[in-house]
Amino acid sequence: MFDIISNLGLGFGVVFQPVWMDFLGVSLPIPMNILFCLIGALVGTLIGVLPGIGPVATIAMLLPITFGLPPVGALIMLAGIYYGAQYGGSTTSILVNLPGESSSVVTTLDGHQMARQGRAGPALAIAAIGSFAAGCVSTVLVAALGVPLTSIALKFGPAEYFALMVLGLVFAVVLARGSVIKAVAMILLGLLMSMVGSDIETGQSRMTFNVPELSDGISFVVVAMGVFGFAEIIRNLDDQSEEKRAIVSSKLTGLMPTLHDLKVSFGAIVRGTTVGSVLGILPGGGSVIAAFAAYTLEKKVAKDPHRFGRGAIEGVAAPESANNAASQTSFIPLLTLGIPPNPVMALMVGAMTIHGIVPGPQVMTKQPDLFWGMISSMWVGNLMLVIINLPLVGLWVRLLRVPYRMLFPAILIFCNIGNYSINNAPFDVAMTAAFAVMGYWLIKHDFEPAPMLLGFVLGPLMEENLRRAMLIARGDPTTFVTRPISGSLLALAVFLLVLAALPMIRTKRDVVFTEG
Amino acid sequence: MSEGARSSGAGRRDGSFIGSPRDFWGGLVLVAVAFFALYASYDLPGMRGFAFGPGTAPRMFAVLLACFGLIVMATGAFTKGPDIDPGTFRGTLLGAALVAIFVLVSKFTEPVFVSLGYRNAETIAAAVVVFLVTLALARGASRGLLFVVASILIFAGTIRTLGLILASFISIVVCAHATHEVRWRETVIWAAALTAFCTFLFPYALNLPFPLWPRY
Repeated sequence: MFDIISNLGLGFGVVFQPVWMDFLGVSLPIPMNILFCLIGALVGTLIGVLPGIGPVATIAMLLPITFGLPPVGALIMLAGIYYGAQYGGSTTSILVNLPGESSSVVTTLDGHQMARQGRAGPALAIAAIGSFAAGCVSTVLVAALGVPLTSIALKFGPAEYFALMVLGLVFAVVLARGSVIKAVAMILLGLLMSMVGSDIETGQSRMTFNVPELSDGISFVVVAMGVFGFAEIIRNLDDQSEEKRAIVSSKLTGLMPTLHDLKVSFGAIVRGTTVGSVLGILPGGGSVIAAFAAYTLEKKVAKDPHRFGRGAIEGVAAPESANNAASQTSFIPLLTLGIPPNPVMALMVGAMTIHGIVPGPQVMTKQPDLFWGMISSMWVGNLMLVIINLPLVGLWVRLLRVPYRMLFPAILIFCNIGNYSINNAPFDVAMTAAFAVMGYWLIKHDFEPAPMLLGFVLGPLMEENLRRAMLIARGDPTTFVTRPISGSLLALAVFLLVLAALPMIRTKRDVVFTEG
Repeated sequence: MSEGARSSGAGRRDGSFIGSPRDFWGGLVLVAVAFFALYASYDLPGMRGFAFGPGTAPRMFAVLLACFGLIVMATGAFTKGPDIDPGTFRGTLLGAALVAIFVLVSKFTEPVFVSLGYRNAETIAAAVVVFLVTLALARGASRGLLFVVASILIFAGTIRTLGLILASFISIVVCAHATHEVRWRETVIWAAALTAFCTFLFPYALNLPFPLWPRY
């Protein structure tokens, strides 16, 4: 217990650390990291509030702006962007009935109904309050679990790591929507794409066709921005349905929820936080399933389930706290084991590697300021959302009224410039165009691009550990099964995969995802 | 994403043995990609004793991808599913063609421009060709895709030589044509405003080294 406090203290020290800067000859202490967190939360909300653009697309688009910062600042800013994007998604769900991302689909059910009854203010406020409460709890949870999990992770050998990554990918498949087989195929495609470039051991170039620009491999930003950012824009242009957005036009009056609202939501927030925290830790879990599960739970425990879907405030409070708790605890597998449990965390891995940080257990021991600074900044990021975003709701509403034909050129050009600025390479920009086409094709054929990105990020790590494990075992592939930890992890993975493929479970799983 | 809503309309074309064309053709393309990867990695050394060679992992994943692609194809043939959206094939093909045109033109005109004494002009030539092709082809459902792809490529082709201001302005104007409701005056004013904002934001506020104007 005492350790947690002192560690969090170290973290807050990093977050609040002032940098002395000269302004017109006067030296002023500026808490730079707070500033980065603030900017991140603001920009994240700004992009995340746009309909059809979820956290993954937002982070993919905004990655380049963090590259010029010091590593700690960059990661803090990215965390801010993440929370901002998620909160932005909730705002659109409530006001426009258009979820910006899958994790806020559930919020539309009751949130938009509340807005139509003139209670958009309380809905937005309870979403922010619920998220903040969940954030407080899960920050402590992350801090508490960080140390013990890291010490376990340090005992892992290559075989265990490989098995763990397989398990993570399987979780991602099982908990994702759509066909299991297609999701596995997407992971394999991602793994294959990550093989392009130089071989880790021999340095020999693989599948590059003597193109010098490919010798370092395909840039992660290029894939993410093309397949998620640009393909989303193209899909929105195709749909044209967003012209008929049903923005709640009544004035936002009375932002604060009543005492009764708070009393009713309290239980929902507690339950949502618990469900979310647990599901977030699972590799592949993440916020989508947490939000759905929390909503279903609320419906089950409610005295009068009929109110749900008609503007019940618990129907907003529970999924919003759950998805925030989950998005926070999903940092645990990333920070302790170095394994991204979901696409957003995969983007974080990409960002960390660009800053020269290899995610994994050694981060906590070697760069404690980074580790604890990031955890503390989660809490600060949540606080930012409450104090900045609630007063700014009016501004976001106005942004939603800007026609899409003006928005997308702006997004596109920012992305292009940001993308170009990373390496000053026109080749990267052109390649992003190719991945945009690929993303468009994937969407049209009902392939989920998220597992592909996860495979793409995990590819090099998986190959490295696979090769090392095989070398240590002198070429004996049974090593993965005979070592107790890796064996049980793989058995669990196989069990889950079989379970998910069973028709009975499959229909149940589809029901969970389509419940409306 | 509205996958759930989309998969509800199970339209089946008469006389076709394929129940779910999205899955069938999607799986086929994955198999093709897997074979392409096998071809691309065929010259890489494989296992050396009990150690993996550079080619082992790519070949392993490619074979697995081919297997899963085949399964996707098979399920696509025997289960019912929604039809492919009209224009998907055309859009993907033309989009890929634009990227290919950009790469090929800039590669093959480079020696010509170098011998004429214009360095880095080949990407501008490629951007111009891409623009003309887009104007000729962009119609219907693939309009959005083509203009977006073209505007990205045009930015890539012009940023190095024409500088940030011209490159941004041109690519904003091009990508504004991705919707059906183009308003010229609004587009130009908006493009100018965005360009001004980018010029301030990136080189000044974020301190990124960009040339603003063309270099001679």
